[in-house]
Amino acid sequence: MRYILLFIVAVQGYAQQSDFDHVDFEKADSIALSCNNEGLDNLPQLAFKLTQDLDTDVERFRAIYKWVCTNIANDYDLYSRNKRKRVKFKNDSLQLKLWNDRFKTKIFDKLLKKKRTICTGYAYLVQELSKLANLDCRMVHGYGKTSMTTIEAEDPPNHTWNAIKLNGKWYLCDPTWASGIPDPDTNIFTFNYNDGYFLAHPELFAINHFPLESRWSLTDTETSFEAFLDTPILYGNAYTNLNLHLAPEHFSNNINTSQHIKFQYELLYQVTPGEVRLDIDNGFHSRRVAIDNIVIENKRLSFTHRFEHSGFYDVHFYLNDRLISTYTFDVSR
Amino acid sequence: MQNSRITQHGFDNFKTTYTFDITKYRIMKTITTNRIAKVLGSLIIVMLVGLNSNMTYAQNTQNDMTSSADQKLTVKGKVSDDEGPLPGVNIVLKGSKVGAVTDENGMFTFPQALSSGDVLVFSFLGFENQEIKVTPKNTFINLMMTSEFVEMMGAPNSDKPYRSKRSN
Repeated sequence: MRYILLFIVAVQGYAQQSDFDHVDFEKADSIALSCNNEGLDNLPQLAFKLTQDLDTDVERFRAIYKWVCTNIANDYDLYSRNKRKRVKFKNDSLQLKLWNDRFKTKIFDKLLKKKRTICTGYAYLVQELSKLANLDCRMVHGYGKTSMTTIEAEDPPNHTWNAIKLNGKWYLCDPTWASGIPDPDTNIFTFNYNDGYFLAHPELFAINHFPLESRWSLTDTETSFEAFLDTPILYGNAYTNLNLHLAPEHFSNNINTSQHIKFQYELLYQVTPGEVRLDIDNGFHSRRVAIDNIVIENKRLSFTHRFEHSGFYDVHFYLNDRLISTYTFDVSR
Repeated sequence: MQNSRITQHGFDNFKTTYTFDITKYRIMKTITTNRIAKVLGSLIIVMLVGLNSNMTYAQNTQNDMTSSADQKLTVKGKVSDDEGPLPGVNIVLKGSKVGAVTDENGMFTFPQALSSGDVLVFSFLGFENQEIKVTPKNTFINLMMTSEFVEMMGAPNSDKPYRSKRSN
């Protein structure tokens, strides 16, 4: 029985972008680009323009997703206002609903007139445009984890993304994080499309996305919320450079000076050992650490590191000068 | 004008071919062999079928001219939500770009005559999309849109390196 299950998993594989390696998204992307001046006042027409000349569902979805990611700005001001209220009313469902209803009107108004929103707005637009193009796309609500979010066990959900059914299989994507990064201080949003969040590997996605309904994780193993709170911090670069993040499994690690810590990643592209480094910060200063035991086999990168001195360290993993992930190590003698 | 000419032309055709067929058939009858009769028989059937469809075509166009309301429908309507008329709602003929937008009073007139069975898609940001089938009976659509329950939240992404909060 176990072998049969293994076989099924092996044959089906994980739903990810490489399933569509044979599809060239150039046409879908150029259609999305040609619709750059379109507004949101006529969604059916926009959906039609984006999809009418494309032959496959994955291309149609791509055009919609790409358009939303490259045309809708993330409004940090709206986000922080909403976050304050959501935390304030987290134990008062009536007040929370009242706020949500009022805020929703404001959000849709701003989305329509200024093409600015927060992440539910992105996921909502992707879902609505997909529906109009006869694609089965859903919003997935849950928790998203970044270097700036501090999620605690009691916090209400803070993030929304999408699941899309293509050729009978569900896939995940995150249009909010793919669109760019807002500056919390100036509220200026910079469009910077990150293709890694399009049909991402569910196992990688699960490290910084926790759905309220576990079926939307699309992974074989169910992660508990407690385990999710202690997953490593991933940055946008992780999605463009990694297929899988394998080790360390946890964000906070308690070790001693005799232990060798294992780091392991499955890469999307080949790298040379010289492009791999750790930045280790002890609270006073950060130092670059070159690693001398790097093994790269079949795009699988492994190395180990041992701390010589006790202390509390933030450890940042870099590939080719791009920050991929962060962990903390509490090292004792 | 154009239509009536086509109609007449259709009937003309019908007459000439019909008489032609009969004479042909009579001539053939004199030579009569079973096989030829069979072939011709089916030929005539084909021709008659052709004529028949010609006739229905003629009838259709005639209908169009006399009572167009039966086939082509002008659709109007009013869209509102629980708080009153809803301006700015998009109404689009499914699978096309043709559409209308409701005015300040929630009213619209679809710019193109529609056929029975056409589907109109009503959409407005924050409200559930609705599809309405056009029938001769409902050329005035009174639609109530329900606002979609969307829980609003959003964690923006960040590329700032994480920094532990330290007491030292």
